[in-house]
Amino acid sequence: MAVMVGRAAPDFEANAFVDGTFGVVKLSDYKGQWVVLCFYPGDFTFV
Amino acid sequence: MTAVAAKYAEIRKLGAEVLSVSVDSHFVHKMWQEHELSKMIPGGVPYPMLSDPGGRIGRAYAVYDEAAGVDIRGRFLIDPDGVIQAMEVLAPAVGRNVGELIRQLQAFQHARQTGQVTPSGWAPGKQALTPGPELTGKVFEAWKPGEAD
Repeated sequence: MAVMVGRAAPDFEANAFVDGTFGVVKLSDYKGQWVVLCFYPGDFTFV
Repeated sequence: MTAVAAKYAEIRKLGAEVLSVSVDSHFVHKMWQEHELSKMIPGGVPYPMLSDPGGRIGRAYAVYDEAAGVDIRGRFLIDPDGVIQAMEVLAPAVGRNVGELIRQLQAFQHARQTGQVTPSGWAPGKQALTPGPELTGKVFEAWKPGEAD
């Protein structure tokens, strides 16, 4: 299903670097708070 | 992403968490943090940096560029119910405006808390509107386009 405002954000689970260590982050763990989800093309790029 | 990190305290104060996502592995995120980001932001970027190898998450959000093999610059504002309230996708040459992200967050929070709607350019302290039959055809009385500046 296409992403669209007013629709549920697709849930996902991902390996992450968080607080200086490695962990797994799941979007649905953040239910109850606002989330700013930012994609970007790659580490060591310029903007 | 360092621009977001620089405003992180303000974003957290609004009760929001930031999650960044790229196709790089979490190992590369660690290297980037140690070798570059920590020199731009004291202590490095403070939010979780997620790894999306193969663009599985990026595809779900329609921001994965198959040809380039990367997630392009997409930003999604997700409310406490897990519903997308705002989305913005930029072509690679131009970076985000974090001030505008924060303004949108404040506006969506205001709307969620009050049931009001916020006109163009609304910021905290400015006039918001209560939708309803009384306002129909009368917006000109309650709000002027010049207030958007």
